[in-house]
Amino acid sequence: MDFKRIGNRFLAGTALVAAALVPLASAQAQTVRVTVAEYSSLTGRYFEEAAAAFEAANPGTDIQIEVVPWNVLLQTLTTDISGGVNADLSIIGTRWLLDFVEQDIAQPLDGFMDQAFTDRFIPTFLTPSVMDGQTFGLPVAASARAMYYNQDLLDQAGIDRPPETWAELAEAATAISALGDDIYGFGVQGNEVETDVYFYYAFWSHGGNLIDPDGTSGLDTEAAYQAAALYRDLIDSGATQPGVTSYTREDVQNLFKQGRVGMMMTAPFLSTQIRDEAPDLNYGVAAIPAGPGGDRGTYGVTDSIIMFANTEVADTAWAFLDLLFTQEWRSKFTGGEGFLPVNAAVAEEPAFAEDPDLAVFASVLPDARFAPVIAGWEEIADITSSALQRIYLGQGDIEETLNDAAAEIDGILN
Amino acid sequence: MTRSVFTSPYVLILPGFLLTAFIIVWPLVQLGILSTSDLNRFGVIRGPAGWENFAEVFADPDFIASAWRTLIWTAAIVVGSLAISIPVAIILSEDFYGRGLARVIIMLPWSVSLTMTAIVWRWALNGESGMLNSALTGLGLIDQNIQWLAQAGTAFPVQVAIGILVTIPFTTTIFLGGLSSIPDDLYEAARLEGAGRLQIFREITLPLIRPFINIAIVMNTIYVFNSFPIIWAMTQGGPANSTDILVTYLYKLGFRFGKLGEAAALSLIMFAMLLVFTIVYVRLAMRRESR
Repeated sequence: MDFKRIGNRFLAGTALVAAALVPLASAQAQTVRVTVAEYSSLTGRYFEEAAAAFEAANPGTDIQIEVVPWNVLLQTLTTDISGGVNADLSIIGTRWLLDFVEQDIAQPLDGFMDQAFTDRFIPTFLTPSVMDGQTFGLPVAASARAMYYNQDLLDQAGIDRPPETWAELAEAATAISALGDDIYGFGVQGNEVETDVYFYYAFWSHGGNLIDPDGTSGLDTEAAYQAAALYRDLIDSGATQPGVTSYTREDVQNLFKQGRVGMMMTAPFLSTQIRDEAPDLNYGVAAIPAGPGGDRGTYGVTDSIIMFANTEVADTAWAFLDLLFTQEWRSKFTGGEGFLPVNAAVAEEPAFAEDPDLAVFASVLPDARFAPVIAGWEEIADITSSALQRIYLGQGDIEETLNDAAAEIDGILN
Repeated sequence: MTRSVFTSPYVLILPGFLLTAFIIVWPLVQLGILSTSDLNRFGVIRGPAGWENFAEVFADPDFIASAWRTLIWTAAIVVGSLAISIPVAIILSEDFYGRGLARVIIMLPWSVSLTMTAIVWRWALNGESGMLNSALTGLGLIDQNIQWLAQAGTAFPVQVAIGILVTIPFTTTIFLGGLSSIPDDLYEAARLEGAGRLQIFREITLPLIRPFINIAIVMNTIYVFNSFPIIWAMTQGGPANSTDILVTYLYKLGFRFGKLGEAAALSLIMFAMLLVFTIVYVRLAMRRESR
């Protein structure tokens, strides 16, 4: 269309005039768009503050923060990318990173990073974002899982210490459930995202692997059968809350905050929620129980911030990242959201180093396993969750259901 | 008198046609291209795929199960809301004290967004702290909490019931319009002849509002078939895909699993299903009317 050509000429003309008026090229306005996931009501405010600080220190830059709720983040990114209107930086779940790297959507950051920058991070959290020796993302949020227990309920049931093995947990759960109609021993998540993860805690403790060394699903192994049987027995004997397949992680956390569940596994942000919503709850945090063979396992999760390959303001975008990962800004973010510190210096601050809950989470990190880096992981997680829901509902034989799921997953892995 | 070319009906229809084509035909063409292409996770075309995406969808057991469930879902809500809306509309069209208030109450669910309604129900149906369980316990109807959303056996019927509830206002509105178009003297004449209420309903009301029933059936079928929020906000199609209908399954396929090619194919299949239904139904209805 002619209009477009006229528009282009007009733009080119304006740019020329602007260039003539502004002698320094670096003073040109640089706009960096950042998509951030909304972890809590604090997230947007935090990033706006960081953007304002950056803009004040770097005149002529404009950081635009776009806050997207977590559960629609992948959808938003997909539509933005397919429409070619993606931002310059974005927070993503690290388990999606492979897709972004394989399709050349994220660009490696090694060119910007020096040793001093790399040393800011706790290595456990940086490695999941490294692929083929290149760093494609920086860990912006990190968490691991541990067991929360209600001290008062344990006391009432006559149990003197939090369970250290799954056998002890089953015993404690049964004893706590016997305390009353509205009290349940072990909270089990059976609905929506991470239903599979809630099962992996027991699965890993029994010596299982998500992907066996031969590259097939580990769901058709003895460890999976045992872990599933353990959960189903707990459910059938009434040691868990009834109707687990309608409980999301948040629903179970709510029961825990109400003091109606003896034990549950979740991330450190529950401590922050208890502090704000149920300060009188007498609770503790311990490592996830060990299996019969002494194996332990917890789930480690990081979210990464990536730079898109098609960005035109890479240097300014990097400068903003550099600011976000300074101790001051990391400390503010980590404390506000209730995540684990990813920055080594932040981890040593008294607020984090002396927090008893966080100390437990830090101690379980050596056992932490991250979601495997596989294309199609979301679908595998969904197949696993569906199989587990059928088992929890008592529909079908445990071994048969898990074998079917494993066969389906093998089809995706190959 | 010669007719100007500008008053030719085809020319007059043209602007509307172009707008419709832009809104309907263009996305359809895009979907057609996407569904026959090999797409990456982010919708970038890598090459032609022929009918592979369609074959994948038809081979998926979850598709077959969701398709059957969509059929039950749509039929149950359309028939259910029809069965309730006709008597409600007849009552509301009669003159009684407080009719305005009654109409407002019936229309109220319409003014709340579907997602909000679904989320409120999700809370109400919560097994431990939900209003419904405590109400039923208070009435002495149950002595143990029912976990409504934990299994499809209770979750799906409840979702259908909520679907009916939110469809009633629209359907009732259509029938109120239909009833007001029936002249009063027909009823007067019938009463003079000594017709009973049931007879009046069967011989006068029903035949005269039949076109409105047809409209309600076609429009509700289209809305309900594609209705996403109730099921998504309450169970996300779970547990184990047992409450998935095609549109929730479509969302998972596209935005969770990143199979955009298959998602495009499924959208076209759904479009074809609705199109076939609408054409067949409208033809049948028109044939009956012209008889």
